[in-house]
Amino acid sequence: MREAIRFGRNGTVREVRDVHPRTTLLDWLRLGERRTGTKEGCAEGDCGACTVALGRLVDGRVVYEPVNSCILLLGQCDGADVVAVEDIAADGALHPVQEAMVTHHGSQCGFCTPGIVMSLFTLYEEGERPVGRDAVNDALAGNLCRCTGYRPIVDAALDACATAKDRRFEAHREAAACALGEIAADGADLFMRDEGRFFAAPASEESLAALLARHPDATILAGATDVGLWITKSLMEIEKIVWLGRVASLRETRSTPETLTLGAMVSHADAHAALAAIDPDLGELMRRFGSIQVRASGTVGGNIANGSPIGDLPPALIALGAKLHLAGAKGTRTLPLEDFFLGYRQQDREPGEYVRAVEIDKLRRHDAFRCFKVTKRLDEDISAVMGAFRLHLEGRRIARARIAFGGMAATPKRAPLAEAALVGLDLDDELAWAPALDALAQDYRPMSDHRASAEYRAVVARNLLFKALAEIAGDAGLRIAPRPAGLAAE
Amino acid sequence: MTPATTFVGSPVSRVDGPAKVTGAAVYAADFDIPHLAHASIVQARVPAGRIAAIDTRAAEAAPGVLAVMTHETTRRLPWHPRDPRPGVDPKAGERLHVLQDDVVRYDGQPVALVVAQSEEQARAAADLVRVDYAPTAARTRFDVAYARAPSEATAKAGRPGDTSRGDPEGAFAQAPVRVDVPFVQPREQHAAIEPHATIAAWDEDGRLTLWDKSQWVDNVRTEIAHVFGLAEDRIRVISPFVGGAFGSGLRTWPHVTLAALAAERVGRPVRLALTRRQLFTNTGFRPHTESRVRLGAFPDGRLTAILHEATGQTSTYEEYAETTLTPARQLYACPNVATRYRLLDMNVNTPSPMRGPGAATGELFLETAMDELAHALGMNPLELRRANLAKTDPDSGKPWSSNALAACWDQAAARFGWADRPRTDEARRAGRERIGSGMASAFYPAHRAKARARVTLYANGGAMIQAATSDMGPGTYTALSQVAADALGLPLEQVRVEIGDSALPPAPAHGGSITMATLGNAVANACAALRETLGADGEGDLTPALRRSGRDSAAAEGASSPGKEAQEYESAAFGAVFAEVRVDPELGTVRVARLVGGYDVGRVVNPKLARSQCIGGMVQGIGMALSEEAVFDRHCGRVMNANLSDYLVPVCADVGALEAFFVESDDRVFNPLGVKGLAEIALCGVAAAIVNAVYDATGLRMREVPVTPERIVTAQAARGR
Repeated sequence: MREAIRFGRNGTVREVRDVHPRTTLLDWLRLGERRTGTKEGCAEGDCGACTVALGRLVDGRVVYEPVNSCILLLGQCDGADVVAVEDIAADGALHPVQEAMVTHHGSQCGFCTPGIVMSLFTLYEEGERPVGRDAVNDALAGNLCRCTGYRPIVDAALDACATAKDRRFEAHREAAACALGEIAADGADLFMRDEGRFFAAPASEESLAALLARHPDATILAGATDVGLWITKSLMEIEKIVWLGRVASLRETRSTPETLTLGAMVSHADAHAALAAIDPDLGELMRRFGSIQVRASGTVGGNIANGSPIGDLPPALIALGAKLHLAGAKGTRTLPLEDFFLGYRQQDREPGEYVRAVEIDKLRRHDAFRCFKVTKRLDEDISAVMGAFRLHLEGRRIARARIAFGGMAATPKRAPLAEAALVGLDLDDELAWAPALDALAQDYRPMSDHRASAEYRAVVARNLLFKALAEIAGDAGLRIAPRPAGLAAE
Repeated sequence: MTPATTFVGSPVSRVDGPAKVTGAAVYAADFDIPHLAHASIVQARVPAGRIAAIDTRAAEAAPGVLAVMTHETTRRLPWHPRDPRPGVDPKAGERLHVLQDDVVRYDGQPVALVVAQSEEQARAAADLVRVDYAPTAARTRFDVAYARAPSEATAKAGRPGDTSRGDPEGAFAQAPVRVDVPFVQPREQHAAIEPHATIAAWDEDGRLTLWDKSQWVDNVRTEIAHVFGLAEDRIRVISPFVGGAFGSGLRTWPHVTLAALAAERVGRPVRLALTRRQLFTNTGFRPHTESRVRLGAFPDGRLTAILHEATGQTSTYEEYAETTLTPARQLYACPNVATRYRLLDMNVNTPSPMRGPGAATGELFLETAMDELAHALGMNPLELRRANLAKTDPDSGKPWSSNALAACWDQAAARFGWADRPRTDEARRAGRERIGSGMASAFYPAHRAKARARVTLYANGGAMIQAATSDMGPGTYTALSQVAADALGLPLEQVRVEIGDSALPPAPAHGGSITMATLGNAVANACAALRETLGADGEGDLTPALRRSGRDSAAAEGASSPGKEAQEYESAAFGAVFAEVRVDPELGTVRVARLVGGYDVGRVVNPKLARSQCIGGMVQGIGMALSEEAVFDRHCGRVMNANLSDYLVPVCADVGALEAFFVESDDRVFNPLGVKGLAEIALCGVAAAIVNAVYDATGLRMREVPVTPERIVTAQAARGR
């Protein structure tokens, strides 16, 4: 048992044992270290001004990802290296991305700049070359800038990443690897503070189950991209936090020809490639999921377990056909993913039970899949409607259909009537699709809110189903499994 | 003296760039003041009424709490009237006297303040304050039936209720071609990335220091002096870096008073940082405005009548009004013009100037109506504008100090490829998407104000420029360095600029695009005065003259204020914006593929800064056109999307190809430096060009922004019926 959070800071190991379990990394940097280069713009992971790089050991090397420090709890830094904007200019010389930001006038007011520098820093240090405009857009999707119009920042990013990688940061990386190696070696359960108020990070599923049995009221924490908001926005007085980040078995990804199994702690970033290999639409969905910071922290298990009616992943996984594996004091159980969602923010999860993994049914021969996310802003926007469709074809005839939508009900939900109406339809007979399109009006009674009206949601859902059918009818053979060899590879 | 122009006009990198990319630039909330306590606001949860009871016991007992302040426990402050009122304040009504009475004027109004050892403790305790309200009827629905004419004070300040020249109604009635276009622009928020924050500290002698996010430190000092009944020299306001403001930092908001009150109560420095949600109700916003434009024209496109009516929202306690209708009177030559401006008092906090105040709104209305007129005439929208070029100011009859609008139209059209835009249905189709092109003119009046600046030259060749102006992002530090380096004959890196401190020579608001036309000349004059003091003439390095005088340093001040040109001429920045959009008609999504803007802003001090600022304005225009709207729930009188995940400012991926350029212009009539100012103009016209392009793509006349997917789909469905 270890009682202190341990993380890397500029080549040394920092130990913290007396902070409140809810302390965020941003507060610790600004108030604890009195280093105010990292900014707070929204305190809910939208603007990215608080972005820092978080490095974790992967096969002996420290790999950095950008994270929103405003909604990342300090305890989640356990075993990681924290790099903030003040840390990357070595010996008075600016980092290449800092240099390029100055040259290209990437700052105006400068308040978003530290976060943007850190997003570009991880792009520079970890991104694959060559870096194009799309990669820069992705790197910056979680950083809002209100002054520059982004173009000077894009120019700075392209310029900095155009030349061979500067090796200066490698010394830091190696020192961090030593520090993190030391932390990783202990393999101990982390338990900071006392039974009434703690941040705990069990190192195994046995410890996790025991801890949850002792504290069924504890809040289970994965990436904190949602729980972080409960703390910073809803001011929820969460006193007992159990973080899953040290349980290695929950970080596993397993792939067979038929299924893909993602452990609950697999981040969206880590799941991206495996999901994209199932279908390019899933890859695009993951690219537009939150922002790069949110995908680095947020997890597949968290996105499912918190039961948001507008989470983007559950509808896609339900349409594909996915099973959820849970574990708790009474043992393990498995259920179809759609059955997990009972009502608005109500899930079929007992106190002390946790999500272990989701097992996804891959596309088979003659299967076609589409999913679409409809938003106002291209990136970093919550879906008004998210629709996902899996069809099994016999020739040009639809033999089976699975449809799921987000944003159309209190939970992610299938469309049984539309699914039934699709069976037997001919892809080439567009006029015959109408009953299936009409059935969506019976399947869903969407609500109006400030994101979209019920009427609009209904129209868009119908149009998305039409779009899916039209696309599949149009390029049958191209995007219907079996896929071209390059895409099938995993 | 004619200074050499080595730096003015050249694209030097911003001098504060290294500080900003390393996190070294210090903003209001960053100051490390010893013994700091933290305050958190409790906000009203009804839009109108009285506080029936307020129970602070639980909050007072909470961990770390130092004080809980309510209207019952806060001392009465003098709140002396400002006379004259600062230009950034409404001309009628009375500013919010925070924690002075039990009246609730809007949802979100501060009704209590908690001060605690830590920010988290303050926020947690603020949540424990129980307030019972006796609600009264509130106006939370925008209904023009209740609108009223502005007061005389407002009318005198360039926001008249009714104006008329010629015979507008008669000319409109007889016009061969007419359009009548209603339009709605919703409430928009500045949404700068830095939240407003204030640190207040009183010393033993009763002097107050405020570290504040502000575009006008002198005004914060004067305002707080009036609120507390203090002499101005007892107050110092410090604001070296401002993390974007776009107008939100022009006024002195109630939270500054709250911070000072809290620091007084607990006898310690106090920091009050507004949360993102609180920014929506504790600073200002661009008011919801509804408009009707009627245009009459001859078949050749010449305008014969412009009738523009607009109603903007204001609060119940202050009369905030905008120059929404100025473009209708000044942008085009037209003999018969009427404007009618009305205000609607609502239970909201008071709106405030937001980038391009009045003009950006008015030109959205006018320029979309001009597009409708062009189609009614069967005329190229660009040719319609050309047919109505105002060679002199059509309202006053005075000459323009300079006007290169025609060059903006011509050059921007050429760069955009307007003549070759897709014009058939087939050419406008790209797969499932529709391509559309649109254009609009841009116009923003140019002004100058009074300012002073100090220059100090040191024998080692260094120089210091000082003035109480600000730099919210456009590059005041850099541009003033350039002016001074030229005037003193020094390398740029030898010049340091110190601003954002009320202890420095006085400056006007850093807003309204006046900073360079005002401070730039004051700095040049200070340098010229120093040159004269040292008996040096002409140009070149002034340091040898200083060394010859045997002194270690020498200082001089210079002033600048508007001259008789302000009476004899009209001055304005001009522009032309061209947009290409891609619309997915089934999903209703609109993407701006290209924007080209050509601008006449006078002399450009730094093309690199100027281009970036214009592109930034264009992207705010994309937001105005497509995504930005503070959604106001009329049932509870509350903004429903008071955060940055639902109040949608554009992201990087929303930004297509952008091109901003400057036509040749140098307005030495307006001021010796020749600049006109370019912050506001960059937003003007952008949204109209995009809305017009959406029409070109889809045939849908969208008369409300933002043009969301939902609105496109709904309009599409309505057309289908």
